[in-house]
Amino acid sequence: MALSLVNFVVVIAAVLLIIGLMVVNAVIMVYAERKTAGFIQRRPGPYEVGPWGTVQAICDSMKLLGKQIFIPGNVDWILFFAAPVLAFFPVLLLFLPIPFGPYLTALKVDEGILLILAFAGFGVISNILAGWASNNKYGLLGAARAVSQSVAYEIPMIMALLGVIFLTGSMNLTQIVERQGAWPWQWNLAVQPLAFFIYVVSMVGETNRAPFDLPEAESELTAGFHTEYSGMGFALFFLSEYANMLLVCCVCATFFLGGWRGPFLDGFWWTFIKAYALMMFIVWIRWTFPRVRFDQLLNINWKWLLPLSILNLWITAVILKFVD
Amino acid sequence: MIKAIIDNIKGLYSLLVGLSITGRFFFSPQKTVHYPRQVVDPEILSSYRGPLELVPGEKDPAQSRCICCQMCVRACPGHCLTVTKEAGSKAPAAYLYDFTYCCLCAACVESCPTGAIRFSHKVYLVADSRQALHLDLLADLKVRASAAPASESAAAEQTGT
Repeated sequence: MALSLVNFVVVIAAVLLIIGLMVVNAVIMVYAERKTAGFIQRRPGPYEVGPWGTVQAICDSMKLLGKQIFIPGNVDWILFFAAPVLAFFPVLLLFLPIPFGPYLTALKVDEGILLILAFAGFGVISNILAGWASNNKYGLLGAARAVSQSVAYEIPMIMALLGVIFLTGSMNLTQIVERQGAWPWQWNLAVQPLAFFIYVVSMVGETNRAPFDLPEAESELTAGFHTEYSGMGFALFFLSEYANMLLVCCVCATFFLGGWRGPFLDGFWWTFIKAYALMMFIVWIRWTFPRVRFDQLLNINWKWLLPLSILNLWITAVILKFVD
Repeated sequence: MIKAIIDNIKGLYSLLVGLSITGRFFFSPQKTVHYPRQVVDPEILSSYRGPLELVPGEKDPAQSRCICCQMCVRACPGHCLTVTKEAGSKAPAAYLYDFTYCCLCAACVESCPTGAIRFSHKVYLVADSRQALHLDLLADLKVRASAAPASESAAAEQTGT
């Protein structure tokens, strides 16, 4: 693909739009998450600030912007400041190959999913840097957990995606969407239900969300790898966490739920509807299930998800061989 | 091996049960009382243990039933009660109550031979200093007697021991 001047301008515009999307997504999701938590516990959630508490998330982000960035003693301050930046910037790149709509794709590359999976690894590096540089035992323990968890859950995630890639014969996200139909029984979900299940479980594990939020388990590690961060340092981690959630949901919508193909009228709205439905499902899971123990977490991955994903891949390959 | 697989499938079913419970709670009505605009139903508050108050006397609602026997002062584990006696009579000169140390254990209420003290139902008590929680119960009794003499004496008959 020739990177002409037009492509360059498109990518720059896309990056600016993605920054806006990240901020808006974080504000909306914080509000939606707190409201959902409230409703599930039969209380109203944010209520007093603005109509139905809608201004609460904006007030909270203003508070975060105004807070002092406190630097503890004996901190490796280059790494300490590099970690939140490293958590934030790869996410901008990760959204580029996602086909939000038929014409709303910033970077149409053949190996789109490879690009996403490769640069998603930066998130793990930022976690371990944050834990190591803040010279705090809770931070270090959280970072160690984050690394072993993310590395473990990446494998069944990729295996589940490989099933769809076998079916489509392409790693280009736009082609994967185009091979699926508009109606639910034409989506990849109908032919790869096991892969979808494995992907959803490892998606929750990969983004460190409850019930797999061991890197930031409050009861054991105060806040895990971002214990020593305040103000914008913490806000950058927070933004990238919600952006990563949106990213894995967009990938899931693209691979299994037909992306921008939908009943009646194709368009970017279907991608957003599907992605945000998945986000709300993750939030629902968070306020329902208790946190697993660390050995249980790794047992689920190594003893169940990995063999199941290999089985799924094998069955897919055999069926494809016989069908051809 | 097969048993483990069956157990795990049952476990997956239990996850669905959990999701259905929280999903049902999501749509069920909320129980929150938005305080400054609404207040809690007094019927619910009848079992609430607020700070102590003196029970009004049977004849004169402004007069306490206290006989200054000091049983409550001895029973109190937090030493938050101070009762002084009027010279030449059994009526208390001062009944001082330090709510900051009170653990609401009801040892004073149970030890009182005349049933002179009970728990109030004041949920909305707020103070901006420790000094404001050092309560003078005799003054409080006089205020209540002058505010609503009829209803207070009726309440005294109900709770009288």
